[in-house]
Amino acid sequence: MSTRRTHSNEMTTPDINEDEHPDLGALGAPVAPTGHSVEVQELNAYYGSEQALREVTLTFAANTVTAIIGPSGCGKSTLVRCINRMHEEIPGARAEGRVLLGDEDVYAPKVDITAVRRAIGMVFQRPNPFPTMSIFDNVAAGLKLAGMRGEAVRERVHRSLRAVGLWGEVKDRLNRPGIGLSGGQQQRLCIARTIAVEPEVILMDEPASALDPISTLRVEELIAELKSRYTIVIVTHNMQQAGRVADSTVFMLDGSLVEHAPTQQMFTNPRDERTERYVTGKFG
Amino acid sequence: MQEIRHQFREDLRELENQVLGGMDLVAGQLDRAMESVSYQDVELAAMVVADDDRIDGRYLEVNQGILSLLARQSPVAGDLRIVAALLHCIRCIERMGDQCVNIAKLVPLSGHEAPKDKEILDAIERMGMLARSQVVQAKEALSGRNVELAQDLVRQDSEINALNRRIFRRAVEIGDDLELREWGMFMILVARCLERIGDNTVEIAEQVVFAVTGLFRELAAQGNSGDSALS
Repeated sequence: MSTRRTHSNEMTTPDINEDEHPDLGALGAPVAPTGHSVEVQELNAYYGSEQALREVTLTFAANTVTAIIGPSGCGKSTLVRCINRMHEEIPGARAEGRVLLGDEDVYAPKVDITAVRRAIGMVFQRPNPFPTMSIFDNVAAGLKLAGMRGEAVRERVHRSLRAVGLWGEVKDRLNRPGIGLSGGQQQRLCIARTIAVEPEVILMDEPASALDPISTLRVEELIAELKSRYTIVIVTHNMQQAGRVADSTVFMLDGSLVEHAPTQQMFTNPRDERTERYVTGKFG
Repeated sequence: MQEIRHQFREDLRELENQVLGGMDLVAGQLDRAMESVSYQDVELAAMVVADDDRIDGRYLEVNQGILSLLARQSPVAGDLRIVAALLHCIRCIERMGDQCVNIAKLVPLSGHEAPKDKEILDAIERMGMLARSQVVQAKEALSGRNVELAQDLVRQDSEINALNRRIFRRAVEIGDDLELREWGMFMILVARCLERIGDNTVEIAEQVVFAVTGLFRELAAQGNSGDSALS
């Protein structure tokens, strides 16, 4: 699994000597210039004896945004949490099947789970900056945890803040608490924290559901910008949001995948009657 | 599972009923326009012209309602297709209303006691009946989401097109009487209006097929293959 990437775009910092700064979760695979695809194969997930996912098989194409929609309890959040192995953190929860990041199985024995979660970052519903940390330290936290120090950290933090469009708003107050930012800014700070460690994939679990409409649109614009560098999976209850940001959309129901199609098709001419009924609000 | 979005469904149903009612208005206008042609009834023709405001008003109501529905309810999938189809259909209805007005406006121009040619008049009346029948069938196809009925409109429309060509040929060879020739030229224009009404019903049929299947097929092109530029 590749957890380190080289860039040919503006995010590249050729002056950073990677030998001086340990790989961000090196699993030994060669670096990749862009996001990897994620392939989910026959995935089943359980909470104790209750099955939450049933034989889910699908591919999240590299450098695309895929939205997952479906009614509450359909398994969409469970699915994304299985992708970076966060599901198993819940007592009694387990998953069976395969999740491939590129060619490597996330669930293979001896895989470093920390490295998996660095390669597959996650943004949550509510902005969750570390409350006691400054804006700078919030973004730097993952880097420092990985052993990165000094100027490289500063550059990576600045670069990440620029990438999420937050630099101009916070550059003069990097040492102020991250918790002092607005909700929308906090969410972009969390996205900056996620991309600072240069993941391959970004999972977003309703990233804008707690934000006001303008902040929501900024996050959506950011998603569109980030997809050239990352593979993005977004869980959303907001179908208009799925329509705006996603290249393809997955509809789930009762733990099963019902339909996975280009977003335009999903919202104009879905193939499955259940998808049609859900997106048109004929059941909820 | 429970059905939700009741208000949206109610609004959509109401818009569709307005569109279907618009086709009834067209059928009524067409009846009177044809009667005014057959009996050279200038007063009836003037009523047709004045009554077009009702169809124009219906067009504006539906257009505004659809914009509001799009802005407020963001319809998707089958709902989105029917909304798009209704928008197209009401435009066709407005155009068919205009064609009825065009026919009515020709009535006073074609002479008070103009000589007439029975062959042309019979063909015009037949075209009027067919056009009316197509308007009614288009309404049934839309309200019933009936693809077969929609596709059958192409068959009917080809007869209208054939009559249109026949009227043109007959008018060309109608004879040396200047007044009769002038009347014949006006009847060519009436035939052209009726032919356009037929085309509009086929466009509505295409929208029905699209709303039901999600696929757009140009039915008119299938039906008109081999037709001349007059069709």
